[in-house]
Amino acid sequence: MAKTSTTAGHGAHGDGAHAEHAAHAHISRGTYYKVFAALMVLMALTVGAWWIEGIIALPRLLGVAIAMAIAIAKTTLIILYFMHVKVSERATQLYAGAAFVGFAIMVIITMADYFARGWPPPPGPLP
Amino acid sequence: MATTALPQRGYLHDDTPHLGEWIRSWLFTVDHKRIAILYLLAINFFFLLGGLAATFVRIELITPQGDLMSSDVYNRMFTLHGVIMIFFFLIPAIPAVLGNFLLPLMLGARDLAFPRLNLLSWYLYMFGGIFALSAAVLGGVDTGWTFYTPFSSTYSNSNVILTITGAFIMGFSSIATGVNFIATTHKMRAPGLTWFRLPLFVWAMYATSLVIVLATPVVGIALLLVAIERLWGVGIFDPALGGDPLLFQHLFWFYSHPAVYIMILPAFGVISELISTFSRKRIFGYEFIAFSSMAIAILGFLVWGHHMFVSSQSVYSSLVFSFITMLIAIPSAIKVFNWTATLYKGSISYRTPMLYALGFIGLFVIGGLTGIFLGVVAIDIHVTDTYFVVAHFHYVMVGGTIMAYLGGIHFWWPKMTGRMYNEIWGGISALIIFVGFNMTFFPQFVLGYLGMPRRYHVYPEEFQILHVLSSAGATVLAVGFIIPIIYLMLSLKTGRIAGDNPWDATGLEWKTTSPPPTHNFEAIPVVTTEAYAYPPEAAARDAAEWRPGSPL
Repeated sequence: MAKTSTTAGHGAHGDGAHAEHAAHAHISRGTYYKVFAALMVLMALTVGAWWIEGIIALPRLLGVAIAMAIAIAKTTLIILYFMHVKVSERATQLYAGAAFVGFAIMVIITMADYFARGWPPPPGPLP
Repeated sequence: MATTALPQRGYLHDDTPHLGEWIRSWLFTVDHKRIAILYLLAINFFFLLGGLAATFVRIELITPQGDLMSSDVYNRMFTLHGVIMIFFFLIPAIPAVLGNFLLPLMLGARDLAFPRLNLLSWYLYMFGGIFALSAAVLGGVDTGWTFYTPFSSTYSNSNVILTITGAFIMGFSSIATGVNFIATTHKMRAPGLTWFRLPLFVWAMYATSLVIVLATPVVGIALLLVAIERLWGVGIFDPALGGDPLLFQHLFWFYSHPAVYIMILPAFGVISELISTFSRKRIFGYEFIAFSSMAIAILGFLVWGHHMFVSSQSVYSSLVFSFITMLIAIPSAIKVFNWTATLYKGSISYRTPMLYALGFIGLFVIGGLTGIFLGVVAIDIHVTDTYFVVAHFHYVMVGGTIMAYLGGIHFWWPKMTGRMYNEIWGGISALIIFVGFNMTFFPQFVLGYLGMPRRYHVYPEEFQILHVLSSAGATVLAVGFIIPIIYLMLSLKTGRIAGDNPWDATGLEWKTTSPPPTHNFEAIPVVTTEAYAYPPEAAARDAAEWRPGSPL
């Protein structure tokens, strides 16, 4: 895993006496290059998985699971490093997490509706 | 220690010699108070425009025949009313006007955390508005404000793309405001201003911002997908192209139900301020009111399916959504009970803002309770897409949000302008609005329960009497809305000088001058007390000392 170097600085927010001070931190250039390389590898994996799927008849569920795993890995890297969530304050991390909780609520409840549609089966024609 | 004194001119003060410079000083301002005024003007313009569309709708409905406009024009008219009122008035009204003006003042800060982002949000709002208006000018859109697919994505021959582009851009304006409020509340509170010393208006704005930031992107994406399907025929929602129309409804209502809380949560915040100030009492159950805002914001994400009970959604989903909808009544009721408890043994003064606040409580209770009816699957199936629903959401949005917006504008008008308005006309117009509102929308409950469907302009003659009553009420309501425009404008010239704290209220915004200086405070205040620190005996003392002409 790429090592992250952080540098703390004084909060630049207008009023110095404010209760909460921001500790600015940054990700080193070297880390950015490593994350970029990791993303390129993951992109190659995406293309490779698609290519392999064309040759070997994988179960559909497995294909989707592989594609989702690669996509989640890419997204996580981008959010943590390029969007600075890894070195952000707890509140920022909380909001980033909340977005995923909100997204999960939307997907799970919507998919639950799709799953349960047709329960109970519609009554058949009267005899 | 040497300190740098900030210039202490009122934010409205301008000594630029040329008109062009004066205009530039407003259009490029990053002062949150000036941006609030820009929003005030723009949002009120859209309110009048949306009201004009409603006027045509109500005139058409006076007779059972479609004699003023065709079905198609009627569809476009109520869509114009809905799109403008929802996206360009109700959603931004309180946050963008009162929130922008007050949040830094209430927090003891010199501005919002990101002043340029704040100005950008106004420009985004205006661009979005221009798109929506151009759609109207070019012939309008006939999908209703809900843009249901596949009608919007495939079959409609109106200006769908322009309108949803306007709503899409407006969404970014909302997000910018929400992000700004969250960052400001976290980072820029004055020393000593702990979370449980925050005014309840700030809590309400914070909860609203949470909903805005988490929900608005979803409707943006949903509208983008409609555009993709409409422009390029990619099958997403249209069954003929392999799509699913219910997916749109899920995505749309995932935002649009929380959007109701984007409209009403800020109103709750305003009402908390008004009730406490005009009862001269510490608010009852501060923590419960604060947490109920957060509870509403969170639970609001779990109830969207109650808009889809008749859409072929799974009955099991409907049952779960119905149950959670019942839960959301609890935090709403907590607020109402706490406001009522605050009134108890208070020294209540019926000034104009308080009249709006009391009107709000009554109307919101009716709107909220009929919402419980609609949350029950069996009743909802009976009244879906009838005027019962129209009456319900107008009680929440007009009876709730607009009453609070007007109450808030009156309450903070002296702070915004430095002038008092005419109190007699204020009281008269508040009463006219209350009467006009009930006259307009109460008959619609009856109409809906009797089976009058919404979005029809031709109807059986038996419904005419109720429609005429409703249209007459709308006329009264319109008069009630026009009167404040006149006396508030007049007050800018002739109003009595307000002084810094005309209501004898607590809160940091009343500690600075009226109107406040550009940087809000001469020195950043230090907070040592709770938000509503009225002395325990204040109400009793005020009541004992009250004489005709007393300020409160």
